[in-house]
Amino acid sequence: MQQQGKSSGSEMEVTWEDQQNINTFSRFNNRFHELEDEIKFAKEKCDNLEDAGNELILADEEMVRFQIGEVFAHVPKDEVETRIEEMKEATCKTLEKLEQEKESLVSQMAELKKVLYAKFKDSINLEED
Amino acid sequence: MSSSSSPSGSGADLSERRGIPAAKFIQDVETYLSQSGFDSNSALAFHQERLQQYKVVEMKLLAQQRDLQAKIPDIEKCLEVVATLEARKGTGESLLADFEVSEGIYSRACIEDTDSVCLWLGANVMLEYSCEEATTLLKNNLENAKASLEVLVADLQFLRDQVTVTQVTIARIYNYDVHQRRVKQVTTPTAIAAADS
Repeated sequence: MQQQGKSSGSEMEVTWEDQQNINTFSRFNNRFHELEDEIKFAKEKCDNLEDAGNELILADEEMVRFQIGEVFAHVPKDEVETRIEEMKEATCKTLEKLEQEKESLVSQMAELKKVLYAKFKDSINLEED
Repeated sequence: MSSSSSPSGSGADLSERRGIPAAKFIQDVETYLSQSGFDSNSALAFHQERLQQYKVVEMKLLAQQRDLQAKIPDIEKCLEVVATLEARKGTGESLLADFEVSEGIYSRACIEDTDSVCLWLGANVMLEYSCEEATTLLKNNLENAKASLEVLVADLQFLRDQVTVTQVTIARIYNYDVHQRRVKQVTTPTAIAAADS
């Protein structure tokens, strides 16, 4: 008698469309991990700027040493305050954009997972190891 | 070998990209093996080797990407400094700055109102530029670096796609081989049983 069961999917056909789906999922997964790192970095920067702003309020010197490039320039307190506000705004906007991209990526990946698991069931593993 | 990529592919029909050969997608393992004359083991070996080659290229591209990603913030910092100097130009007041002489040791510099800056171009070469020229040059470098990074990222994505295709191909050939062996195992005892009876 011939073996007829789908023993560990060794007879599963893989079409070009399936391959493209797998490729796309791989791309999304890579981009997801990159985004996580970028978000961590942006969050840290936001926190640092927040702390810097708070320190500034407590400081009573007129001249603050503000890092521009590789040197610390003596800048009046008000200018520093403005700069930090600008930097905080820019960083927070970037953080928001990154979070949005991550969310859309997660939902797209969930979609693809559904499609791929439907076709391949046990023969494919799309989970994080 | 017949081309097996469908015309509806999303730009993935390139046979190679910047020296990286594309991995041909196999529609049917059995046809591929009979057409190419490979048996399972040599096909597996061939694709494994391809995978290794792809990995080597991936390492190289990742290193280049890291370099570029470090370069871009550097250029942005330089632009910031030049912008600050330019902003001070009209006021006539000098800029006091603390800079690092060595680790943990800083010194104070008094930067007079000036029209020109010196830019380090690499290879032990430093040139003096006016503030505007410096800004233009740095902006150009920044644009080029960002464009190179974009191309590099696209290359990496293409490469990773080829790696995925190759890995899936290896899995399919292996599964096909396992399947063939199983079929042979089942039919051979049956033939012996039939011969015995």
